[in-house]
Amino acid sequence: FRFKDSLAEDLQSADLVISHAGAGSCLETLEKGKPLIVVINDKLMDNHQLELAKQLHRDGYVLYCNCSTLVETLQSMDLSALKPFPPGQPEKFASFLDKVLGLQ
Amino acid sequence: TGGHTTEILRLLSCLSESYSPRHYVLADSDKMSEAKIHSFEQKRAETFSKSKFTLDRIPRSREVRQSWISSVVTTLSSILYSLPLTYKRKPDLILCNGPGTCVPVCLSAFLLGLLRIKRTIIVYVESICRVETLSLSGKILYYFSDYFIVQWPDLKKKYPKSIYLGRIV
Repeated sequence: FRFKDSLAEDLQSADLVISHAGAGSCLETLEKGKPLIVVINDKLMDNHQLELAKQLHRDGYVLYCNCSTLVETLQSMDLSALKPFPPGQPEKFASFLDKVLGLQ
Repeated sequence: TGGHTTEILRLLSCLSESYSPRHYVLADSDKMSEAKIHSFEQKRAETFSKSKFTLDRIPRSREVRQSWISSVVTTLSSILYSLPLTYKRKPDLILCNGPGTCVPVCLSAFLLGLLRIKRTIIVYVESICRVETLSLSGKILYYFSDYFIVQWPDLKKKYPKSIYLGRIV
């Protein structure tokens, strides 16, 4: 398929996700607890996409490769080494805002 | 736009009804955000029945990778739209997270503050995508916002006036 409104269903039933480095794709996948391999497109390199993918890899949440090393990565990957991704905490933001605005 | 909308709706998810009415400002070329916002507000109305919100559009201030010089021109022309809008809404608080659209709105509010017409608190939350460098909006609004929040510790080190609360989306 080309575009769907939501990949939530497909994500839910997947065992492994291979994705580009877009933040939305990465975070949605990690939040569903699915193992993720991020593929960096060397030619289309949008540096700011890369920052998040690199950090997620450094923290041990995703595997990371480029188009030419994808096959090799799939063959040698150890998905059990990936750490579970803790969700973000918007409640911390709400508390912070309540505090500075004097709403607490 | 897209990712920014998703992030900002997450930021809104835990806010109480004191943060009402909500005025959303979108770029005119943004096709997908309106649906996400309606969906968010509909759900919210299930819990908070008196929930109110509005939606306005302004011309997009900058295309991705648009040159610096032409960006100044297009941003200035966006201010021609955002200034009357900000004056009309007179928000107590502006919450934004980085799309080009937020710069003219914040600058308008800042200007209205200087002119003693309305003092608005500007809260900027840099996108979770920004780990080591700030977006262009962030670099500008670092100097104009009241509270500048980053989501990764490296940025807190580089921008000492920023606030680090961890990952909040």
